[in-house]
Amino acid sequence: MHTSITRKLVNETHNVFVMLQGQVASSTGSNLQSQMVMSSKQYRAILKACSMDLMHMAETCEDEGERESFEDQIQIFEMIQLIWGFCQILFIEVTPDGLLLNQLLDWIKWHFTDGKRLAVDILHDEIPAEHPAYWEAIFRLLLQGEVDSVRKLLSLNTSNQNEAFLSVDELLRKMPQWAHYHHALSAAEFDMKWRHWRDECQRRLEEGHYVAFPNLETLVMVLCGDENVFAEMKDMCGSWYHLLVSKMLYQNPTVRAPDLHHYAEACMEEFTLSGTRMGELDNILLAAIQFDIHQVIKDSSAFLSTGSWWFVSHFTDLLHHCGQLDTQNLAYGSNLREFLLLEYASSLMSHKSLWQVGIDYLDYCSVFGRTYITQFINHMSLDNEKKAHKLLHICEERNMQEEVQTICKVMGMKSLRRGKLGAALSWFLRSRDVTATSKLTERLIMEYSKTGQFEYTDILDNLGPAMFLSNRLTFLVKYREFHKLYESGETNKAASLLLSLLEARLAPRTFWITLFKDATPLLESKEVIFNSGQTYVLMHCLEELRHELDAKTDISQKLTDMEKDKLDLLQLCLTRNLSKAIKAEGTVKTS
Amino acid sequence: MLATKAFPAAHEDLIHDIEYDFHGRRMATCSSDHTVKVWDCDENDQWQCTASWKAHNGSVWRVTWAHPEFGQVIATCSFDRTAAIWEELVGDQAKDGKTQWVRKTSLVDSRTSVTDVKFGPRHLGLQLATCSADCIVRIYEAQNVLNLSQWSLQYEIQCGITCSCLSWNPSLSRMHPMMIAVGSDDPSPGTGGKVHIYEYSENSRKWKRVEIIPVSTEPVHDLAFAPNVGRSYHTLAVASKDLSIFSIKPLGKESLGSGGISKFEMHRVAEFSDHESQVWRLSWNVLGTVLSSSGDDGRVRLWKANYAGKWKCIQVINGNGQKMSTAKDSKIVTVTSSNNQIQRIYEVKPV
Repeated sequence: MHTSITRKLVNETHNVFVMLQGQVASSTGSNLQSQMVMSSKQYRAILKACSMDLMHMAETCEDEGERESFEDQIQIFEMIQLIWGFCQILFIEVTPDGLLLNQLLDWIKWHFTDGKRLAVDILHDEIPAEHPAYWEAIFRLLLQGEVDSVRKLLSLNTSNQNEAFLSVDELLRKMPQWAHYHHALSAAEFDMKWRHWRDECQRRLEEGHYVAFPNLETLVMVLCGDENVFAEMKDMCGSWYHLLVSKMLYQNPTVRAPDLHHYAEACMEEFTLSGTRMGELDNILLAAIQFDIHQVIKDSSAFLSTGSWWFVSHFTDLLHHCGQLDTQNLAYGSNLREFLLLEYASSLMSHKSLWQVGIDYLDYCSVFGRTYITQFINHMSLDNEKKAHKLLHICEERNMQEEVQTICKVMGMKSLRRGKLGAALSWFLRSRDVTATSKLTERLIMEYSKTGQFEYTDILDNLGPAMFLSNRLTFLVKYREFHKLYESGETNKAASLLLSLLEARLAPRTFWITLFKDATPLLESKEVIFNSGQTYVLMHCLEELRHELDAKTDISQKLTDMEKDKLDLLQLCLTRNLSKAIKAEGTVKTS
Repeated sequence: MLATKAFPAAHEDLIHDIEYDFHGRRMATCSSDHTVKVWDCDENDQWQCTASWKAHNGSVWRVTWAHPEFGQVIATCSFDRTAAIWEELVGDQAKDGKTQWVRKTSLVDSRTSVTDVKFGPRHLGLQLATCSADCIVRIYEAQNVLNLSQWSLQYEIQCGITCSCLSWNPSLSRMHPMMIAVGSDDPSPGTGGKVHIYEYSENSRKWKRVEIIPVSTEPVHDLAFAPNVGRSYHTLAVASKDLSIFSIKPLGKESLGSGGISKFEMHRVAEFSDHESQVWRLSWNVLGTVLSSSGDDGRVRLWKANYAGKWKCIQVINGNGQKMSTAKDSKIVTVTSSNNQIQRIYEVKPV
């Protein structure tokens, strides 16, 4: 299938499919049946449109090889339309009285247009009756039941005033057609009328009215339904199913579907005897006439699915909803309809944009659909943010929380790889992955302590409740808050925040020195910011820190001299602040 | 429509393994020339080699990717009796698009050549199984998934028979306990069935052997569990003298006191000798619906089951990329390498 046409076919039939599933869920009985027929017609209309597009492309195409493949594809579409039309008549659009000749005639007229085309050519000719294909056109049209067109062509004949011609015209005019009578008469009544008419044709033939014009004689023999003449006419039909319908028209117009197959085999034999071989298409149609739906599907799968499951999956789905399919589960775990839909959806998944359509189809596969979706989503490459968000949306719609988490984790890792720590952080938060978030936050904290700069301030400022996912993250956010407070001059608030950070032990131990350093300007300021109680807490923390660092036996982690000095300095600051605070607290303010 | 691409892999010796990553956009190859190469597929569907390094001191037998949620991590195993874990370095890429992979750890517990290495299903955390010619399957776990240098050996399974390949059961269902299939290429028929199945028992916290497939008596070159998309049974493909596909259906536990042993209903659903020679490697598609196999006849075959569960060959591909005969196409990406060190990728797309 070629890409733009494929996409059109897939997208448009997708719409029909989804609507159909909706109607199945909501309507019943005859209302449902009419919806089915409509869906069937819509599918065929789309097929026809794609066929026409393909034909257009084939005509304008320059590459020989490409044109050949277009033509192959057109042929396949033709076959599919033929089969679909036929099966629609037999299985979907079943008339209440079971008569189907009219529908069959429509079907034949739709697919075999040679007769009409010839007629048009002839009508445009100067002397129609002398056109070499004059009689051929007449016979072709006759076999399709186009009585009016036949009469018109006959009237163009030079001998049209001859009695024989007038007699034939009269017969044709009086031919009972079910299409005209089905409102007024019952099948039995029509049958009688028709037999009466046929007997008249027979009589006139036997009385030799048409002896002078062999072609007319043949024509009337057709009207009588003469078996032998149909053998001669088979070339005009071109295929056994056309012959079948033509025969039915003139031998048994009230035929019902189950009886068709009696006549079908005889028609097939006509063709096989003369050397035509039966192809897959013929087998499929024969299986349909025999009401062997499974065989139809099986053969269609084998023959028409090379390259695409489109036909069998939609077709089977429609038949399934018409109740024509056996719904029992097969060995693999579900029924035939689901199997074919799964195949079709899977075939769409590797396409860069049609995969979303595939997922939609999987939603209607009740047994395996969800796991298929899960598998596919897990393996889909997350090329960019847009695709990731699309996938996330799909997962959230279907309540697939695990997949949401996995996608976020993978995206987080990808961002990390590219050095985009901020994006990584938001992905990890979304995936609610505590470990990854903590690790990343530690990295951010380390970076801060090295550079003294805060990056990603926007993300940190707007986290909201998500910051509580990880202790480290909570710390980082609060720390950032501390800086903001300090910069805006609210030193008291900043101080108590800093104190609570130390007290709550939220910060990693390694960061405490930095925190103390931050505290130093507050300690050194003229006003008393940390009261004595707070100062005691700070001193306690410092002791703890010193104690821990001293206790480390690993030489590499022992304090360097510089660090020892820093701690001593801090001790000094704290002591000075303490004295300030005690003095301030002990002073009685004079008013 | 079958699209094939061939490009020289630039390995200097036999290529033993090729693996796609989870998303199918990256590939790793390993070879007897002791090196591992990583390839990336760009937007124009061209493959570029983005890393190449000497990984071991002997032929590298297998390479496997971890799930991308753990980062870009691969594991390799080699004739030099070690398995190694590598991680791609985070940071700016060099101007020529090449990236750096560092060794996170080496697993040196085996006393003989390590023949296969596979990461476990990700819902079990980050676990790794290796199997060696010394008849032992070792299962390692990363204690901290963010620090891949720390792996601890959790279990050693004595198989009693020299191991050539292993496969984790990738079942997504938590109802199924962890399961590993191990294949052996022991040439002597006296050692019995060459495919063993082990299951992890939560009660006794040990891996126990639950099945030996009796009909597989020929040396096994590769085996693979199919991804399970919700079926009630597992599917295992085995490559040895011919290709076999087994269906393994858990029947629930037979409780024997505190440690219930799972019972299985197992039967061979397909056996194919189309390759008419040893079948070497197997690979399943994402859904476990199509299997590809390669054999000594220089051909790759694709296999699929119809709705009635009957398997048949749907495509035969010649090692040089030409189609042999067409039947049906499906979505699967197969990669093969051949002795002449050329890699070929076959992408079978729906037409």
